[in-house]
Order: sequence, then structure tokens, then C-alpha cells
Amino acid sequence: MLKPIAVLIALAPALAAPAEAAGERVRVTGEIVDTWCSVSGIMFAYGTAHHQCAVWCAVGGIPVSIRDDAGEHYLVLRIGDDTVNVANPKVVTIQSHQVTVDGELIERDGVKYLLVDQVADDSGVVNLTHEEYGIVPFGE
Amino acid sequence: MRALVLAAALAAGAAPALAADPWGLDNEKEVLITGTVVDLLCTVAGDCPPDCGAGSRQLGLLDEAGRLYLAAKGNVFFAGAVVDLLPHCGATVTADGLLIENPAMPLLFVQYLKGPGDAEAASADAFLTRWTAENGEADEWWRADPMVKSAIAENGVFGIPGLEPPAE
Repeated sequence: MLKPIAVLIALAPALAAPAEAAGERVRVTGEIVDTWCSVSGIMFAYGTAHHQCAVWCAVGGIPVSIRDDAGEHYLVLRIGDDTVNVANPKVVTIQSHQVTVDGELIERDGVKYLLVDQVADDSGVVNLTHEEYGIVPFGE
Repeated sequence: MRALVLAAALAAGAAPALAADPWGLDNEKEVLITGTVVDLLCTVAGDCPPDCGAGSRQLGLLDEAGRLYLAAKGNVFFAGAVVDLLPHCGATVTADGLLIENPAMPLLFVQYLKGPGDAEAASADAFLTRWTAENGEADEWWRADPMVKSAIAENGVFGIPGLEPPAE
């Protein structure tokens, strides 16, 4: 898992937050998820079973969130000074990973927007759901 | 009386039509939302490049009451709404679709979009139009996409290199 960690840390120089942002400092631990499938409940949307679909959706420009164990979703708008939050190739490759990030939380109209300053840990894909669910959707 | 009927007919004709297609999702609500197309990172954090980030940033709708809607999904399987909304950055549009009112995070599924100057709403499928222009025709863009194929080749369908589905 060193490769994605190194990539993300390289993307995350300190003090990258713009002066205008005025959120709460937070540390969030959870799975990187496809926001649409997870929030809409259209299908099972977690772990290995849904990894391929999460890649499809990230490439398709659907926003990416971190979902913690309590089911809270944090929509990732920035990682370090990388403000590309649509089909970012570096984010596509870490779909379904379990991560811990530090950043700034700004809540507005029910959405938790997260400006990530640094990725403190990336454990890779650890949510092994495929044995129960297979490949979601379509089974292939 | 005739004037009253005429006024009612005109009012009905002027009212925007709701064409949303229900999907039977939990918490879904058919909506017609009129708002300004905004760059979310700009709106919530004040980081504002020109042209809403030129397609590199998630977009939303800011309505007259100041409510910000996260436009997470467009009318193409597995694709967002950025390509549809981007040409209208800073302009007022009307999105017709589903609001997923999940307490964890409300999000907007834009099915049809009417931009300024549009006679009527059109399906929010600009992602597929652009993708096809760049990549050619495909039955399933999501399996044919070069970035998808590269990611799956690198990490497998389960996201763990070397972990493969059982052979049929």
C-alpha cells in the first residue's frame, strides 16, 4: 500500500487550505466510496464487491466520499493542493480503500464537505465483501 | 369568467413541467430546482478559478433561497452531471430529476436540464455524448473507458492485485 500513500502524501503539502475556508478541523477514518451508490442505496456499495463499480462512477465524474463506521459521508472536494475532484486518476485508483485523513470540514445544507490536508493512513482495500455479494452490479 | 379561465390556462401553460422519472429509491423525491450553477469548492471554501474549474470540479445548484444542492448524478449510467452543468457555469438553470433526501447526505440526480435560452429541457446525458466523441461508440462506456481499464488492470475488479473472481 506504499504506492497510493506516497502518491497522496505528495499531493498534500501542508497549509494548503485557502484562507476563505473556515471549517472545523477533523480526522476522518473510513472507506472511500462512490457517493451515488452509497447514498442512494441503489445497490450494495462497499468493499471488494463494489470496487469495480466505484471505479466506474469515479471515472464517470460522480463525487467521491469517505464513509465512516457510523455511516456518515464526507464529500471530498480537495486533497492537499489538488483541487481536481472530478475523475481524478489518483483518486480513481484508491476507490474502496480504508483511509484516515486530516482536514477541514465544512457543512452546508446537510452535506459534509471535506478539504483533505493530508492522508495519514491508507490501508488499501480491507472490506472483503465479494464472498458474500460477488461483483456488484451485474456479477462480472 | 372568460378572463379567469384564460388566466388559469396561461398560468398552467407557463408552469414548468415536471418530467422526472422515479427510480423507486429510498428517500427519493421528484423535484424541479431552479438555481445558479456553481463550483462547490468555490462556494463552500472560496477557492474560485474561472469557468467553475473547466470540468475538473464538482458542481451544484444554488437556489434563490440560498440552498446549495450537490448535483451528484446525471442521466447516464455511472456518470455525474458536471458535463451537463459546466456550459452554464454562473447561469441560472432548471434541473428536473430526483432529490435523494438521505439524512446522511442529500444529493441531486439531474435527469433533465433546461439552460438559459433553451426552449425545453433536455436529457442530462452530455457525459455520454462527450465520451463517445472522444472514445467512439461502445455498448457500455464504463467497461470500455481507458481509465477504467487501466485501473482494473492494475488492481483487479476487487481492488486487490492478484485477487480474482473464481473461474466459471
